[in-house]
Amino acid sequence: MKKFLALLLVMVLALTLFTGCGSSDEDESVVIYQNKVEINDQLMAFATKYEEETGVKVTVKTSGGDSPYAENLKAEFQSDRQPDIFVIEGMGGYNTWESKLATFSGDEWIDLTALEFTVDGKIYGFPVAVEAWGMAYNAELLAKAGVDPATLTSQEAYKAAFAKIDGMKDELGIKSVVAMAAGPDMRWVTGLHNFNGYLSAGLEYGDTTVLDKLNNGEPDMDRLTEYADWVELLFMYSDEAVLLTGNYDAQVGQFGTQQSVFVHQGNWIDPWLNENGVDFEMGYAPHASVYGEHNSIFIGAPSYYVINNEGENQEAAKAFLNYMATNKDGHDYMVNEAKMIPAFTNVTLKPDAPLSANVTEWLAKDAKYTWLQNDMPDGFGMGTIAPLYESFAKGDLTKAEFIEQLANKIKELK
Amino acid sequence: MNRYKKDRIYFWIFLAPALLSFIVVVIIPFFMGIFYSMTDWTAIAGLKPNWVGLENYKEMFSDLAFQYSFMRTFLFTLLSVLSINFVALAFAFLVTRETKLKNFYRAGFFIPNLIGGLVLGYIWQFIFKNVVPAIGSLLGIEAMEKVLILADPTLALFGLIFAFTWQYAGYIMMIYVAALLNVPQELIEASELDGAGPWHKFWNIIVPMIAQAFTITSFLTLVNSFKQYDIIRALTNGGPTTQFNDVVVNSTEMLAVHIYNVAFKYNNMAEGQARAIIFFLILSIVAMTQVYVNKKREVEM
Amino acid sequence: MGISRKWTGILITIFTGILFLIMMFPFFIVVINSAKASLEIITDPISMPEKWSQLFENIKIIWNKPTIRYASSVFSSTVITTGSLFFISVFSAMAAWMLVRTKSKLSTFIFLLFLSGLIIPFQVVMFPLVELFRRIREFTGIHMLKTYHGMILTYIGFGAPMAVFLFHGFIKSIPKELEEAATIDGCNKFQIFFRIIMPILKPIFVTVIILNAIWIWNDFLLPSLILGVGQEIQTIPLAIANFAGSFVKKWDLIMTAVLMAAVPIIIGFLIGQKHIIKGMVSGSIK
Repeated sequence: MKKFLALLLVMVLALTLFTGCGSSDEDESVVIYQNKVEINDQLMAFATKYEEETGVKVTVKTSGGDSPYAENLKAEFQSDRQPDIFVIEGMGGYNTWESKLATFSGDEWIDLTALEFTVDGKIYGFPVAVEAWGMAYNAELLAKAGVDPATLTSQEAYKAAFAKIDGMKDELGIKSVVAMAAGPDMRWVTGLHNFNGYLSAGLEYGDTTVLDKLNNGEPDMDRLTEYADWVELLFMYSDEAVLLTGNYDAQVGQFGTQQSVFVHQGNWIDPWLNENGVDFEMGYAPHASVYGEHNSIFIGAPSYYVINNEGENQEAAKAFLNYMATNKDGHDYMVNEAKMIPAFTNVTLKPDAPLSANVTEWLAKDAKYTWLQNDMPDGFGMGTIAPLYESFAKGDLTKAEFIEQLANKIKELK
Repeated sequence: MNRYKKDRIYFWIFLAPALLSFIVVVIIPFFMGIFYSMTDWTAIAGLKPNWVGLENYKEMFSDLAFQYSFMRTFLFTLLSVLSINFVALAFAFLVTRETKLKNFYRAGFFIPNLIGGLVLGYIWQFIFKNVVPAIGSLLGIEAMEKVLILADPTLALFGLIFAFTWQYAGYIMMIYVAALLNVPQELIEASELDGAGPWHKFWNIIVPMIAQAFTITSFLTLVNSFKQYDIIRALTNGGPTTQFNDVVVNSTEMLAVHIYNVAFKYNNMAEGQARAIIFFLILSIVAMTQVYVNKKREVEM
Repeated sequence: MGISRKWTGILITIFTGILFLIMMFPFFIVVINSAKASLEIITDPISMPEKWSQLFENIKIIWNKPTIRYASSVFSSTVITTGSLFFISVFSAMAAWMLVRTKSKLSTFIFLLFLSGLIIPFQVVMFPLVELFRRIREFTGIHMLKTYHGMILTYIGFGAPMAVFLFHGFIKSIPKELEEAATIDGCNKFQIFFRIIMPILKPIFVTVIILNAIWIWNDFLLPSLILGVGQEIQTIPLAIANFAGSFVKKWDLIMTAVLMAAVPIIIGFLIGQKHIIKGMVSGSIK
């Protein structure tokens, strides 16, 4: 026993000596720490290509999912090799990381996009991808039900369409008209995305009046009331199980297996649909979040690559990003491999995934509402107001109470 | 050098490795944490935290979510302790009978303990959401088919306790098995000769003999239930919402989860830290009281 | 009387068997669902998989996925777990022995200090610990975060309280005469400890090792802070968590990954079963 222990001790010590002394690749190399697990493999492949072309090594580190990026990013900065490039999402991220951000200026990609992240005239963020969401619909089922998607532009139109489709549930073979989720696992769907409708639907692109009022603790009561009608409509026509306890797979799965006509999700579900062999025709219709006519969907670049202003490889990092935006290998990676919609006008490749392709059509029409939910205070969307949606969906709150509590939460932001 | 000094040197040499590691990794950060809890720390490297005194503590006590989480954690702990110990004791009795399969059963009941909390939470989430309805439809029981366990605060809580018991009972069972095996056979045989029935045997002989085990198991189950994080995060993620004093709260957001949420979701590291300190104090008091009471009872028995 | 006893016996046996099946049920679910494709799991969770070969396909995917780096994470988990186990047990045994044999106020105080560690929840020391490690590097240049030794040191610190507690209780029952005799024979403290005490401690050693092995192998929170998710050194739980993507839960692959993570430890347990159970049973009560 003792001999074995001694041997083990020597082995372990030897190993730690070999491996423990930290790697010092502080020389010309770039570390990018990002949060999309879905594209990790593709990004790594692109980084390898980049190294072949330019000789600069780019190390890709990813974390996300159940080990949330935001927390790990803080730990990253505490460690000895801080990332050169990392990701922030909107004003919330900016406020947290302000002291660490370097500015871009003069890079080629800046003129190729309108979605760079700017504060006070200074450019801080490189848009990772264009993402969008609206009411995604199953074109085949919709046609079968005799509803023309072009007419879905207002709450009245939706009410009529939902009622009609609901009456044909058995014929169409669906469980519910809409695949909507409001449970504890899906707080981002309600508290962030759906709530964004209150912030910007029907308004001009870039109009932040409602958001500014929110940040000042002022709810727009009329608008809030109209918005609650939309939420109620969606909840009414959803499947209870998916609504209250469904996770991502369950919700998107309901849509993918043609058991619902609509799904409340963005074009990021394309890879899931693709992997699961879903291939019916689909497209987007606007959210009728408030009264009136709606003719756009929510489009934006939710996350940005930013540069660590204390990094020792800032120039190399900027060069890497610029390469991604301007070089055809970069385009190939963004569109074909990672299946993202690039934010740059010089990209001629078109994404082949159904929802992403549809989004580019909306983009071409310049039919966009602003993506503002990431500019709310930290934790407000997912932590503070999302539980209200869940209670409302369960019937614990009446519509009036829902509106009242939502308004109160906004007022608390003063 | 004199004997006394030599002893002291040896004392420290033997103690140093474990003690130093413990102090560096646990004690020092603990006191750092106390300091940080009285600032507006956000854990961003480079930003200097500012002193705010007891601000964070005051806010905590008026926070309804904290109060609610506190109560739920006590409830969860109480029920879990009862559930786990009851099941573990039952298991222990079953596997100390003379059967050929007893080692097989011991291993089987113990294996769930080998699965990590996070993973286990996912498995049970899958079971509650997908498997239970499927079984319900197979058996034709509509109530079972339609039930949304994780949408009801009470059911979700029981689901948690069930999953946690599944994981932990096997381990506690081992301790009871050890205790049962230590009960002198002569005592049992003597009582049987006196005509004692099974109940009598249980209450008057076995229970006193395993009193010491009770102290250990209650301590372990109490502390572990109170600190539980992984399973809750994975199984219910704080759970279905419910109403508490007209405020919407998360029905299975136990203290450990609550602290984490406050610290990270709202980017309020200092507030989270303050709650963690209170959490620790409460746990210490409860745990020590429990050990004290049990020790006394042990002696009396 | 006799017949009724027999029936009770049979009933209890059946009952035990049923309980056993219930306990094994979740494993059954994991295994059959590891051999299904994603959509199949959602639509048909409890039926047998359509083709078992899917299991091997899934295993291959997990093994090769660069995000998970299964082989490398198994290696890291093994190194970290074995290293930590070794040091926790030896160091704690040494400390406990000294604490038991030295009757003084200081010794009682230190023992209580260790005990307090049992109650300190991880959340309280989480971030300060990372901060502390960072400062250590600032001032001494020694890397602590994202290293094997940093991780192992952390486990020693967190594992010592329980181990010291267990060893302490056990050592109290070892008669002092043995050591006194050895001292008279001229042995120094090291010899006494390693030659005489350690062998006696074998059963409690086993207990300590098992308890810590289970915890460390499956631990997620500590490594996520010290090693970081998605970094060079990953333990198996880190690799799995990293893989379970942002919003996409691919249940088929997750089930397979869960299976692949649990299998090593279950096999380890089954192999050492006899010793483990004997060790736990005889050691834990003291």
